[in-house]
Amino acid sequence: MSIGGFERRLTSVLEAILCAGMLGIFLVIVVLVTMRYLFQSGLVGANEIATVAFAYLSSIGAAVAVGRQEHIRVDLLSRSVGSGGRKALAITSLSLVGMLNLAIVVTSLNWIAATGHYLMPASQIPRSVAQVCVPLGCGLATLYCCTRIAAILRGEPSN
Amino acid sequence: MTWLLLVSLLVLIALGVPVAYSLGVSVLLYIALSDPQLLLVLPLQLFAGFDSYALMSLPLFILMGQVMNSAQITARLIDFSMLVVGRLRSGLGLVNVLASMLFGGISGSSASDTASIGSVLIPEMEKRGYRKEVAAGITVASSTMGMVIPPSIPMVLYAVVAQQSVGKLFLGGVFPGIMVGILQMGLVQLLVRGGIEQDRQPVTLTSALARTVRSLPVLLMPVVVVGSVVFGIATATESAALGVLYAALAGFLLTRALKVRAFWGCLRSTALTSAKIMIVIALSQAYIWILALERVPETIAKFVVELGLGAVGTLLLVDLIVLLAGTVIDVSPAILLLTPVFAPALQDLGVSPILFGVLLVSGLAVGACTPPVGTCLNVGAAVANLDIGRIFRGAAPFLAANAATLALVTVFPEIALWLPNKLMP
Repeated sequence: MSIGGFERRLTSVLEAILCAGMLGIFLVIVVLVTMRYLFQSGLVGANEIATVAFAYLSSIGAAVAVGRQEHIRVDLLSRSVGSGGRKALAITSLSLVGMLNLAIVVTSLNWIAATGHYLMPASQIPRSVAQVCVPLGCGLATLYCCTRIAAILRGEPSN
Repeated sequence: MTWLLLVSLLVLIALGVPVAYSLGVSVLLYIALSDPQLLLVLPLQLFAGFDSYALMSLPLFILMGQVMNSAQITARLIDFSMLVVGRLRSGLGLVNVLASMLFGGISGSSASDTASIGSVLIPEMEKRGYRKEVAAGITVASSTMGMVIPPSIPMVLYAVVAQQSVGKLFLGGVFPGIMVGILQMGLVQLLVRGGIEQDRQPVTLTSALARTVRSLPVLLMPVVVVGSVVFGIATATESAALGVLYAALAGFLLTRALKVRAFWGCLRSTALTSAKIMIVIALSQAYIWILALERVPETIAKFVVELGLGAVGTLLLVDLIVLLAGTVIDVSPAILLLTPVFAPALQDLGVSPILFGVLLVSGLAVGACTPPVGTCLNVGAAVANLDIGRIFRGAAPFLAANAATLALVTVFPEIALWLPNKLMP
């Protein structure tokens, strides 16, 4: 399988998760408002679970945006250089992004080991369940950086 | 070490590294050279940025705008605007501004305003004799109201960063937003002349009523969304979710233009757009944490107070800095970086944080229409198939309305503060 093919499959799986998560958050909030006004009751821990889902959505979505090269950037320099310069800039940028994400993955493991056993106040779920979104998202972003660099070096078109 | 933070950030952004990761790499560099034990700050701040109930309103407001776009409500807004101002001289230019004003009350995003109104009105205006850069320029300049008129996504972001009431900020944007619209309409009347056809279709009372009733469900949307926050019926996150529900019902049942597949596409696009903003928020928190460690906000606050310009003079200086910053940095990162730097200084001078929020967002909205990074300008270029330089030349005269409003609100803060003080004392 080509690198582009692997990226496309990974991205489509992750995007399906993002859509489901987004729909889930929307439905939970609507149900909570409805229950509050119609039945004067709520769901214990539902807000916390929606917030955890949102954290996963943000971290996975940020990784997908790395793969799709859609992050907010200023591309004045890359627009003013030739294709060789553009490639060099893209590889430099991806290397720095990958390095940062890798550093976060490594440090977050110690942080989760130290604080992940505390329970969330309403849902009583360990905080590590939410905290794992950080190494997960950053790990995926690192993976995308590697595949993008490999694709650029092999001359494959952008994803 | 402060210089390292600032210089590395500028160099990385110039090299084309995404803004979010430029912030993160600068922090990493700083930590590596000063105190590697601080490395734990990165995952901690990243998680703190993601793990926020208040910020959950952000994707929901984005989703509301996306669903409204897919529901093809733009046609109804334009039809209503045609009814109100279409028969005046330069009618279609006025329609463009009024439709943006109404759209701003629905979507909260200037870029989606440019795309949806521009794709309908730019070709139509060209057909009626407007030069293409003028048509695109009016579209881009008027889309700035999307950020100022509530509900506004940048206002939500500022509210979270500055820990202010979303409802008060929404209300603070009402009069400045309307003011920009009225001034832009005046400029359209004044500057756009020659060879432009007006709408000559006869309007009867019955047809006017029918067109108004047809647009009513769309026009009521801002009342539902903003009203629920202002009157304490729902939190910002809940009101955004209710807005999505309203938009989806309008799309599925009223206009019948929204399909399940398109709704799924809206969810996908929203998740990605909000993630791009969230990663900027999360990594800028780490950057701001280091700035605070280096006492940068305090130093700037002290410097600004010692300038002795007084509240209005300082605000005018801040307006200028915001306008300049807006030309080189996107709205979300600019809010995240400028708020903690200027808010303490302005607070020391007795400036209301609501006023600062309104001025910050209004100033950055102008930046969204200026090269090189203006989001609306780039969207406008794609819609009109023109280069950004020509669109900016077309938009520049109408942006004078934004500059005038910014100056007026700075000198007369009651324009922004009267409504929030009245309704949410």
